Amino acid sequence: MPDIIELSIVVVGAFLAMCMFSTLYGKSSPMYALAEESYLGFATGLTIVVNVLYLYNTGIVGIRAGDWVLSFGFLLGFMIVVRIFPKYSYISRIPIAITLGSGLGLGLRTTIFTGFLDQIRGTIIQLFSGSAKTLLYQWTIAICVLFTLPFFLYTVELKGPLGWVAKIGEYLMYISFGASFAQTFMGRLGLFVGFMQYYTVPDWKIPILVLSMIIVLALIVALDKTNLLARLTPEE
Amino acid sequence: MSVSDEKEKSIFRYLSEYDRRIIYFLLFIVVVGPLISPIAMPISVSPDSKQYYDVLRTLGSNDIVLTVLDTEFSGYMELQSGVIASTRMIIEKESKMAVAISHPEATIIPDILFGALKDLMDAHHYTYGDSYLVLGYIYQNEASVASSAEDFQGFVRQDWQGRPIKGTFLEQVRSWKDISLIVSHTTGILSGSVMNHFALRGTRMIVNCIGGMIPGQKTYLNTGILKAVLPAMRGGAELESLIGIRGLGTKAMDAFTLGHYMLIAFIIIGNIGYFGYARPRAQKARTGG
Repeated sequence: MPDIIELSIVVVGAFLAMCMFSTLYGKSSPMYALAEESYLGFATGLTIVVNVLYLYNTGIVGIRAGDWVLSFGFLLGFMIVVRIFPKYSYISRIPIAITLGSGLGLGLRTTIFTGFLDQIRGTIIQLFSGSAKTLLYQWTIAICVLFTLPFFLYTVELKGPLGWVAKIGEYLMYISFGASFAQTFMGRLGLFVGFMQYYTVPDWKIPILVLSMIIVLALIVALDKTNLLARLTPEE
Repeated sequence: MSVSDEKEKSIFRYLSEYDRRIIYFLLFIVVVGPLISPIAMPISVSPDSKQYYDVLRTLGSNDIVLTVLDTEFSGYMELQSGVIASTRMIIEKESKMAVAISHPEATIIPDILFGALKDLMDAHHYTYGDSYLVLGYIYQNEASVASSAEDFQGFVRQDWQGRPIKGTFLEQVRSWKDISLIVSHTTGILSGSVMNHFALRGTRMIVNCIGGMIPGQKTYLNTGILKAVLPAMRGGAELESLIGIRGLGTKAMDAFTLGHYMLIAFIIIGNIGYFGYARPRAQKARTGG
């Protein structure tokens, strides 16, 4: 049997999760609001604690070890906080500009390879060697790239053969959107199945889940029938 | 009610306008039912999962693996079978492992993960400090990832509980060169940065990602920057099948498969309703008939 801590985590978690799912009923409800606000409170608290710990572990500990350069990070952080005083808020622009500049530099330096050059290199492929399956893949990639690129030519009018190629490219993109939709559905279903699995494995959790479902559904239907649903739901 | 409205009381109209809550209710039944009472439908292994498995199989006891939990807690629900199966393989290979986290909600995951693998860890004498370390929430942004790739010792000085990494296996990690493999379990928070600052330079990297990310990650697989991509929960189940265990992924596949059948059924139903009722009605309204 689980200990009291684990049991309470599952009871509160299952109930709040079902409250979240109450949005599927199609009407706003106080249960949904309760779950939403609880999550916001929890997430904010957790984020503050974990980030303070991050500052300590990567900043304070480093400075104490003699890496005094890190103290500039704290100085810049303090300059952002100054923003709350309107008279000195302009000071916060300096660290924001530094963050933006360094972030852009860090990102561009590498993304130009992973997102651009390597992708072009990856498209220049062998079309006449390899197994039948490999050839099928390679030809599919080559044809799709060649037909899809003209669709994005914005400076010329797409008519004649170019127009037909672009049209085929458009339909090829629809096919890829379908594949993306299927992958996304698989992902969302995976989230739901994984979540439900958390509340059905091991077996002792099942009655808690079923009970939570029944309680929340009964509550929402009862509140709806008695016209209390809208009255008890806090305004957004 | 007019005569024309009464005439429209057809099956097509129902299929076009039925209460959407029926779908949600059926999805609950279709998912929860097989989880409570499994059917054990057979699963096949895709080449992607085999590739991922083959990369993990190359690990040895001298290798240092950086496991990145790049996910919120909700995303972990989808990734957990792959996370557990991957970690199981790393432990079985007795490789050293450091766990880095990039989202506050993921800070709870190491406890759940190592709790689930306790027996295996005991069997392989896989102990904290000697074999693995949890570094905690160290990846807050791209700059932190870049710092760890460039100067690991300067960026990571202690584990999440404040114990110095000096004297542990991480002491020999100076930069990206000293990491044998990165296993990123990701919903896409910082996996791009990890790839850009580690894998692009040459660190081998494999990714266990959520379903919505698979097409995007495949492009990096084609370019060779990533060595393998494990496709979400389905991939987790396939990895379990390859290592010969019946874990959470395998058990979830019944619900998963039935959920997909249900979607296909509702797409067909929706189309029948559309062509049988909604479309003719819209055409009629346009022509004023």
